[in-house]
Amino acid sequence: MRKDIANLKYVFAPKSIAVIGASDNPSKLGNTILKNLVDGGYGKKIYPINPKHKKLLGLKCYEKIEDIRGNVELAIFAIPARFVPDVAESCGKKGVKGIVVLSAGFGEVGEVELEKRLGEIVLKYNMAMVGPNCLGVMNPKKRVDSIFFPFYKFERPKVGGISLITQSGAVGSCVADLAAYYDVGFSKFVSYGNGTTINDADLVEYLSADPETKEILLYLEGTKNGKKLLRMLEKANVKKPVIVLKAGKSKSAGNAAKSHTGNLAGDYMAYNAVFRESKVIEVDSVVELFYVVNMFSQELPKGRRVAVLTDGGGLGVLTADAVESEGLQMAEFGEETREKLKQVLPPYVNIGNPLDIVADSGTDIYEKSLRIMMEDESIDSVIVIVLFQAPAVDSRIIDVLVKESDRKEKPIVVVAVGGNYTKENRRILDGYGVPTYGCPLSAVKTLRRITDYSLFLRTRKR
Amino acid sequence: MDKQATLPEFRVLKKYKIPVLPYGIAKNMKEATEIAARIGYPVALKLISPQVSHKTDVGGVKIKITDATRLRHAYEDIMENREKIEVTGVLVQKMARKGVELIIGGKKDPQFGHMMILGMGGVYVEVFRDITARICPINKQDVKEMVGELRTHPLITGIRGMRPINLEKLYGLMVKASQMITKEDMEELDLNPVIFDEEGYDIVDVRFSK
Repeated sequence: MRKDIANLKYVFAPKSIAVIGASDNPSKLGNTILKNLVDGGYGKKIYPINPKHKKLLGLKCYEKIEDIRGNVELAIFAIPARFVPDVAESCGKKGVKGIVVLSAGFGEVGEVELEKRLGEIVLKYNMAMVGPNCLGVMNPKKRVDSIFFPFYKFERPKVGGISLITQSGAVGSCVADLAAYYDVGFSKFVSYGNGTTINDADLVEYLSADPETKEILLYLEGTKNGKKLLRMLEKANVKKPVIVLKAGKSKSAGNAAKSHTGNLAGDYMAYNAVFRESKVIEVDSVVELFYVVNMFSQELPKGRRVAVLTDGGGLGVLTADAVESEGLQMAEFGEETREKLKQVLPPYVNIGNPLDIVADSGTDIYEKSLRIMMEDESIDSVIVIVLFQAPAVDSRIIDVLVKESDRKEKPIVVVAVGGNYTKENRRILDGYGVPTYGCPLSAVKTLRRITDYSLFLRTRKR
Repeated sequence: MDKQATLPEFRVLKKYKIPVLPYGIAKNMKEATEIAARIGYPVALKLISPQVSHKTDVGGVKIKITDATRLRHAYEDIMENREKIEVTGVLVQKMARKGVELIIGGKKDPQFGHMMILGMGGVYVEVFRDITARICPINKQDVKEMVGELRTHPLITGIRGMRPINLEKLYGLMVKASQMITKEDMEELDLNPVIFDEEGYDIVDVRFSK
C-alpha cells in the first residue's frame, strides 16, 4: 500500500485536528466544522487556525499551523482554493499526516494546474489527502467529522460496520443521513471529491484492510484508475461484501463507435463487466443499498432454495412469482417436513410452498411451522410474510421471528406490506437484526443478490 | 473500419487459430467457378471494393448459390454496372451453417482496457440488447458465466428439443478472440454473426480496427 494511502489512518482516527479557516461566522464552513467537532464530542486536541481571532468556541486560535507546538495529525481545510497549496506545504513541513480539503475551485472549474500543484505537495510529504472539493470524512466511533452540515439537519449514523466511499458529497450525505434514520451503523464515511491523490480504488484498498469495516458501500460515477479498481474490488469482495451503486449508466451522447460492438457496449458496459467479474453486489438505487445491508445481519444462504411462509395467500403467490423471476428456486419440502407440518397445522391448510397458514392462524402456528422449516435441510432461506393487519397475529410474532433469527441457522427475511402499524413493527424487527421489506419483490431481489454473493464465496473456498 | 471480410482480416484470425469459412478471391468468372468447385456448394459471393462499405445495399452480396449455373448468373448480377467503382475482386465463400446466431466482439475501454462482449445475435441484440461483457483477459470460466448471464441463454444451452450448441467451441473461440484483441491491440472487433450448432461454428463476417 502506498504510504499516503496507509496514512489515511490519521485521517480517520487522528489524535489531534487543526481546522484551517475556523470561523466565528455561522455562515462559514469553518464555523460548522469546528462546532461539529466540539459538540460532537471529539474530545481530543483541536486547533482552530485563523489569524483574525485569539479564541474560537473557547479554544485557543492560532495564526498559522507553524505556531502550534504540539503534533497535528489531521488538518481540515476550509479556506479558498488558491491558498490551499501553500498551507498544505506548511502542513507537510510541520509533519501533518493527513489533510481533508473541503475547498472547491480546482480541476472541476478548470484550475487544473492548482490541483496538480496541490497533489505534488501532498505526495512529497506522503500526506493522505481526501478531496479537494468534497465533504471529507466521518468516523462515528472516534467522533471525527469534517462534514459541514449541521447536526439538526443531518443526523449522524451510530457506530457500526459499514463504510461508505462516495464520489458525490450530496449522495453520500443523503445515504449517511438515511442510515441514521434507519438506525444503521457506520464505521467510516469518506467523500473524496476530485480524488486528486487518493481515489475510489485507493479507498477500497484501505478499507478492505480495515478491521472495523465489515461492509463497503461504494457510490461511483467514474474512475481514474480502472485497472486498480478492478483489482481492489476483487481483493476486497472476498474479504467483505462490496455493494456498489453506479451513476451514469445512460448511454453517453455522441458515442462515435465504429463497430456494432462499440455501439452496443457503452461506457457503462465496462463497469458492468468489472462488477460482474469481481462479483460485487451492484444495486440500482440508494434504498437498495440499505436493503442489501440489512440482510447481512443474517446468515448467508447455502443455496437457492427458498421456503415461503405466509398468512396471506396472495402475498405468497406474489413472492413465489418473484422467486422464479429472480432466478431463485421454491424449495420442495421433504416427506418428513410435510408430515411434521401436517401435525401442527389445521386440517384445512394445504401443505405446499408457499405455505399459506391462512389469516386466522395465530402466532403459535407461525412459530411451529417456522421451526420445522428451519430444521429442513432442503431449505436454504425462509421468507416469512406477516400480515400485521390480521387480528390473529399478536405482538409475540416479533419474539418468534427474533428467536429463530438469533439461532443463525439460515437466513430469515420478513415481508410485511402495510401502513403505519405494520411499519412500526418492521422497525422493531429491523432493530433486532431481522431484515424486513415492504414488498415481496424487493425482499426477493435482495435475497437473490445475497445468495449470489454467498454462492460466489462458497465456490471460491472449495 | 473496413467493412469487408477481406484477406488481411482472415489472416489475423488464422494467426490465432480461429477458423474461417473456406473461401477464395476471384478476379473473373472462371476463377469464381473454380473456387466454388473446390470449396463445395452452397456458396456466397461478396463484392470486394474499397469504395463499397454496405455490400448488401448495392447488391454486392449473393447467398445460397447451389450450383455452377446459378453461380454464373449471380456473378453477372454482382458485376453489373460496376464501371464507376474500383473492384478488387469477388469473395467466394462457403455458406455458413444454420443455427444460433451470436455476436462476439471486443473493444478497448479507456479506463479498463480491452474487454470482450458476448450477445445473442439477430433480433435479440437489436431489440433486447441481450449482451454481457468481461474485462480481458478472460478464461473458460468467465465465458461460462457470461453465457449464464444472457437472458436468452436457453437458446444456447438447449430448450424444448433444441440441442445445445457446442459450448466448448464457444468457450475456445471467446478465449482466442480475447487473446487476439489484446495482442493485436485492436480498438474494436466484431465477429458478427457467428453461427453455432451442436458441431461447431461459422464466422460469417469479421471487422476490426486498430
